Amino acid sequence: MNTLIRTELRKLFTTKLWWGMLAGSLAFTTLGVVATILGAGNDQSGIPPLSAPSTQRQAFGSSGAALIFILIVGVIGMTTEFRHFTSRPTFLFEPRRGRVVAAKLVTYASLGLVYSVLCAALAVAIILPWLSAKGVDVSLGANGIPRTLITTVISVAIFGVVGVGLGVLVRNQIIAVIGGLAYLFVLEPLIRVIPYVKDAYKFLPGGANAALTQANAQTGQGSTDLLGTWTGGVVLVCWGLLFAILGTALTVRRDIP
Amino acid sequence: MPDEPGRIVVSGLTKVFGTLRAVDDVSFTVEPGSVTGFLGPNGAGKTTTLRMVLGLATPTAGVATIGGLPYAQIPNPGRMVGAVLEATSFHPGRTARNHLRTYCVAAGLPDSRADEVLDQVGLADAARKTVRGFSLGMRQRLALATALLGDPRVLILDEPANGLDPEGIAWLRGFLRHLADSDKRTVLVSSHVLSEVEQTVDRVVILARGRLVRQGRLAELAADQSSAVLVRTPSPDRLVEVLAPLGATVEPGPDGGYRVLGVDPEVVGHEAWKAHVELHELTAVRSDLEQIFLDLTGNGNGNDTAGQVPATATVGGQP
Repeated sequence: MNTLIRTELRKLFTTKLWWGMLAGSLAFTTLGVVATILGAGNDQSGIPPLSAPSTQRQAFGSSGAALIFILIVGVIGMTTEFRHFTSRPTFLFEPRRGRVVAAKLVTYASLGLVYSVLCAALAVAIILPWLSAKGVDVSLGANGIPRTLITTVISVAIFGVVGVGLGVLVRNQIIAVIGGLAYLFVLEPLIRVIPYVKDAYKFLPGGANAALTQANAQTGQGSTDLLGTWTGGVVLVCWGLLFAILGTALTVRRDIP
Repeated sequence: MPDEPGRIVVSGLTKVFGTLRAVDDVSFTVEPGSVTGFLGPNGAGKTTTLRMVLGLATPTAGVATIGGLPYAQIPNPGRMVGAVLEATSFHPGRTARNHLRTYCVAAGLPDSRADEVLDQVGLADAARKTVRGFSLGMRQRLALATALLGDPRVLILDEPANGLDPEGIAWLRGFLRHLADSDKRTVLVSSHVLSEVEQTVDRVVILARGRLVRQGRLAELAADQSSAVLVRTPSPDRLVEVLAPLGATVEPGPDGGYRVLGVDPEVVGHEAWKAHVELHELTAVRSDLEQIFLDLTGNGNGNDTAGQVPATATVGGQP
């Protein structure tokens, strides 16, 4: 297993994808922080003033934007094998296909962890001096901020698993990337407001993530009923693993292109 | 000893795609220390067979083993079997060297092995270039380098000459020979052009329309079919009557002539003379291997059924 993970890391760091996506994660984190701080206390933005704990949590939680990028990296990390037919050497060197998928799950969860820790560190590095310059009292140990930082990091890591799972299930790179993003940012927000199906939202990946990161509490959209923080985290992991297991079961039976 | 290291045994291998029997009950053996040509026209099922041997495709029926084990059960298969399957299995943004180093990790080999095989296939100068800019010939060489990485006892190469220039093909021939002769490796190399591998292979396995047509030593194949006699005669029925008791078969040949198989030209001439059968031509034909190959695979003279005409029966129907 160790060998397989090291193989995956070698694959990852010998193409440019990882740092492009890391740059994107850092850029989106910065944008999120800047938008929250500039918009705080502004009537039109609807964000409470910077002194409010929820606003502070929202700013620190900006690093959660990295989930989009790790999701894409995870999907591409899996689907690129099929797209460029590196699946052939990959499964020639390790014919036990399930183990290859498992190694990818571990690798991309770890990469998600790295992305999100770097993004969280960037958020902290921007927020602390900026707020103290504005004379706002902020402490890393208060107002639920430690919990926000930790759950956001975990959420991003789990999306590495979801990405690989989606990739092994869908196989087609374009469909998996676009489908994954469209689902999270278009379909799920719709499900959330449609009567009859909206109750299912809390069990879906986006809903479970919202529970984990308490995103609703941050953004003030607390009207929807959510799972508990850790239950949400577990449900999200289960989605990732479900995709991966389903996909692997199919992949093991299907011929390698 | 079916499980001798390096021996490939294919038995009853079948692959059905929908209604198409792409590979139909194919069995053959590839011996260590030999280069075996896996021949057949495009679409004969060669690639599908090789993919099943390598565990990338699941057979509908039958089994394939290498050294007695199905591919999936070979411990660290990258050190035992090297394979080239269409030279497209590269990430375009990865350098040749990094591509190889990735599989060095996978097979538990030192990274230095990447440079060694690059050298071996003549790609050392392009080591740090991304595969995106590689020509087809360079990709073939890189695919071969990947196959050689684990210094495997068994090499399975699917159309490795595709995209190589004549110089590259000549190099490949020598290289494959060297691998089998001096290193006692098992080399199974597929091609749709016999002449490409004719000078390299010891044995051939010939496939047509998913079925095994022939397997054996190249020399036997040539000897078997080289004794045809081409005759031209206005009374073919009489000739059949005279020659049939001698065990000869007569089949329609090119340009209204007939091909007599199984007897020497002197016998044909003598018997015809005795029976007062008029002959307009009598020629001993040594069919070349390419013709044999085309006949066997049913592609001779562009006629799909050329090799399958029941010989003597048709002769009687001719005017």
